[in-house]
Amino acid sequence: MTPALELQNLCFRYPDGTEALCGVSFAIGEGECVGLIGPNGAGKSTLMLHLNGILPERLNGAPSVFVSGRPLTTENLAAVRRDVGLLFQEPDDQLFCPTVFEDVAFGPQQFGLGGDALAARVSDALARAGIRGYEKRQPHHLSHGQKRRVCLAGVLACEPRVLVLDEPTSDLDPRGKRELKAVLRQIPATQLIATHDLELVVELCPRVIVMDEGRVVADGPTVTLLSDEALMLAHGLEKPHSLQHQHPHGSRHA
Amino acid sequence: MRLDLLDRHSRLDSPVHRQPAAAKLFVAVASVLTTVLLPVSKPAGFAIVAAVLLIVAALSRIPPVFLAKRLLLLEPIALGVAGLAVFQPDGWRVFAVVMVRTNLCLLTMILLSNTTPFAGLLSVLQRLRVPSLLVTTLALMYRYLFVLMDEVGRMSRARASRAFSVRRGTAWWSQAGIVGQLFIRSTERAERIYAAMCARGWQ
Amino acid sequence: MHIPDGFLDAKTAATAGALAVGGLALALRQVRIRLPRRRVPLMGLAAAFVFAAQMLNFPVAGGTSGHLVGGVLAAVLLGPSAAVVVMSAVLIVQCFLFADGGVLALGANIFNMAIVGVIIGYGIYRTVRRLFAGLRGLVMASAFAAWCSTVLAAISCTGQLASSGTVAWSVAFPAMANIHMLIGLGEALITALVVVGIARARPELVEEGAPPQRYGEFAAFGLLVALGLALLVAPQASSFPDGLEKVAATLGFEHKAAAAPLVAAPLGDYQMPGVKSATWATAWAGAIGTVVVFALAWLLARSLTPKSKDDAPAPRG
Repeated sequence: MTPALELQNLCFRYPDGTEALCGVSFAIGEGECVGLIGPNGAGKSTLMLHLNGILPERLNGAPSVFVSGRPLTTENLAAVRRDVGLLFQEPDDQLFCPTVFEDVAFGPQQFGLGGDALAARVSDALARAGIRGYEKRQPHHLSHGQKRRVCLAGVLACEPRVLVLDEPTSDLDPRGKRELKAVLRQIPATQLIATHDLELVVELCPRVIVMDEGRVVADGPTVTLLSDEALMLAHGLEKPHSLQHQHPHGSRHA
Repeated sequence: MRLDLLDRHSRLDSPVHRQPAAAKLFVAVASVLTTVLLPVSKPAGFAIVAAVLLIVAALSRIPPVFLAKRLLLLEPIALGVAGLAVFQPDGWRVFAVVMVRTNLCLLTMILLSNTTPFAGLLSVLQRLRVPSLLVTTLALMYRYLFVLMDEVGRMSRARASRAFSVRRGTAWWSQAGIVGQLFIRSTERAERIYAAMCARGWQ
Repeated sequence: MHIPDGFLDAKTAATAGALAVGGLALALRQVRIRLPRRRVPLMGLAAAFVFAAQMLNFPVAGGTSGHLVGGVLAAVLLGPSAAVVVMSAVLIVQCFLFADGGVLALGANIFNMAIVGVIIGYGIYRTVRRLFAGLRGLVMASAFAAWCSTVLAAISCTGQLASSGTVAWSVAFPAMANIHMLIGLGEALITALVVVGIARARPELVEEGAPPQRYGEFAAFGLLVALGLALLVAPQASSFPDGLEKVAATLGFEHKAAAAPLVAAPLGDYQMPGVKSATWATAWAGAIGTVVVFALAWLLARSLTPKSKDDAPAPRG
C-alpha cells in the first residue's frame, strides 16, 4: 500500500546556516490521522512547509518528499499542491480575498474550476467547515474562530488527499475547539496535525510523531508515547491531563 | 475612530444597495461630472442634483446623522482650499460656487461608498480591464488595512503602557519606531501570504 | 493636499488625469517586468502600510499633530515604480472609501502625490545618496528628498488650482508653498526616523530600492513630470497665464471644456492689496529654504547616526 505521505531523510538548512531539519523520515498511510508534537523551535512548521514545496526555495537533488508515491519535484509541484492541503497557523495570512466566497473559491479556480461547479464546491466546503451561508461575508468582520473555519473551507475546497494543519486550535475558545474537533473528525482525508494541544492529539490521533531540534525522536501510538512522562518532559512537553489516570480516551477510529 | 466611518453601512439592505456596483459607480461619476460642469448661471441645476442626492440618501436607509457627520469631517479640507479662492476678484462668489459643488460631490461619493461593498467596485475595475496588478494591490490593501490598523493599535497601546512621560521628542521617535516595525511586519506578512497563495496553487 | 471635486475645471482635471494614467501605466509596466512574483503581495501590504502609517499622530503643538504622507519613504523602501503604484492605490482607496480627494480630481491628486512627489523625491534621494555614503547618507538623502517632494507636490497642486481659475496663483502660491515648506520639515523628520529604524533592524529591506537598471525608464517618468509641470504650473508662474487656454483653443476644445469660467480675466497679474510680490518673496524663501533644509538634513543624519556607526558596514546606494 503506497503511503499517502512519505518523507525520506529530509534535511533543511536556513540560508544563514542554521540546521532546521535533520534526517526526518516517516510514512503516513491513507486515511491515517497523525499528530506532530514537539517543543517550540523543533521544526514542525518548517517541516510542514516542505510538504507542499514552499520550502526549500529551489527543489533540486534527490527528492525527500513523496505524496501518494509521487516524488515532490519542480515538475509535479502543481499536482502535489492539489493533493496536499496546508492550513497555516495564522488565518489572517491565509484569508487574503475581499469576500469569503472569493477566498474559498481561490484554490479551485487556480485548478480550473468555474461557474456553477465552482459555486457548488464553495458552498459544500463551507458546509463541511461548519459555516454554511457565509459566502458574502467580509473577512475583517469575522471572529478569529470563524476566520479559521473559512481557511479550512478554502483548503477543503481544493479536495486534497492529505490535510496538513499547523496549530489548528490555537487561540480558540473551548467551544471553538470542540467545534473544530468535530469538523476534523468528519474529514476522511489523511491528516497530519502539528499542535501544542495534547488533548487534541489524544482525541483525534491514534499515532503521534515527536520532534525535537529538527529530528524525529519518537513515532508510535499516542497513548503509549504521551503516557511516557520521561519522554514528554525530555522534549519540552508533558503528560496530558486526560492520561494522568491512564484512561485511554476515544480515538478517531473507536 | 476614522476607520469606523469606513463603509460601515455598505451591508444594509435597501433599493439602492441592491443595485449592481457598476450602475452605482456610473451614476456617481456622472453625477459628479454634471455637478462640476453645471454652469454657474443656472443655479437651479444645483438644486436638482441636490434633490436627487437627497432622495437617494433617503432610499438607502443610511442614518442621516451618519451622512452629516461624514460630510462635516471633510469640510475643513474644502474650506481650507476654498478659503484661498476668496482672495481674487469676485472671490466670494467663487467661494460659494466651489463650496456648493464640492459638497454635492462629497455627498455623492459618501453615498456611493456606503451603498457598495468595495469588492463590488473592484470587480467593476476588473471588467474595465484595469491591469490585474493594480486590482490585486487594491484588493490586498483593502483586506489588510484593518489588520494593520489593529497592529498599530496594539503597538501603540503597548508603548503607552510603558510611557511615563509624554515628551514630544520621544513621542516622535517611538511613533517612527512603530511605523518602522509595521513595515517590517508587513513584509514578513506578505511573504506568508505568498506562501499561502502558492499552497493553493497560485499560478 | 487632496483636492476635492469642484475645485478643478474640466480641462485641468482631464490633463492631469491623462498624465496620471500615463504615469501609473508606466509604473505598472515596470513593476510587472521587474517585480519577482513572491513580492506581488507586498504591493498590497505596502499600500495598507502607507495608509495605516498616515493615520499615526505626530504631536506638534497644542492639539495639532503632523502626519506622514510617505511618498519618499515608499520610494526608498520599494523603488520608484512600485512606490508610484502603492501611493496611487492609497489615493484611490481614500477617494472611493473616504471621499478624501475627488473622483474627477483623482488624476490630479495621483499626479501630485504619487508621481511628482515620488519621482522627483526619488531622483533627489539618489542624487544625494551618490554624494553621501553610508547610513548617514541614507538618512540625509531621505530627509532632504522628503522635504523637496512635499514642497514640489504642493506647487504642482497649486498650479492646477490656479489653472482652473479657482484661486489666484499670486495668492495661492505663497500660501501653499510656505505652508508646505513647514509641513515638509515634519515629513523629512518622520521619514528620516523611520528609515533609520528600519535600516538598523533590517538593512536589507532598505536596499530594495535598487538603482534603476535602465535610466531610460526613469527618464520617461521625468519627462512625464516635466510635461505636467510645464502644462499646469509654469503658465501660472510665468507671464503667460493663459498659456493653457491657448493650447485648448488651438486644439479646439476650449468652448466645450469649461462651464462658464469662474473668472474671465487672467489672474497672473492680480496682486492681493497690501502684499507686494508675495510670489517673489516665496520663491526666494524657497531657494534659501532648500539650502537650509539640506544643511538641517545633514545635521539630522549626524545626530541620528553617532560616529561609531560609520565604521560598521552600512547600506550603500
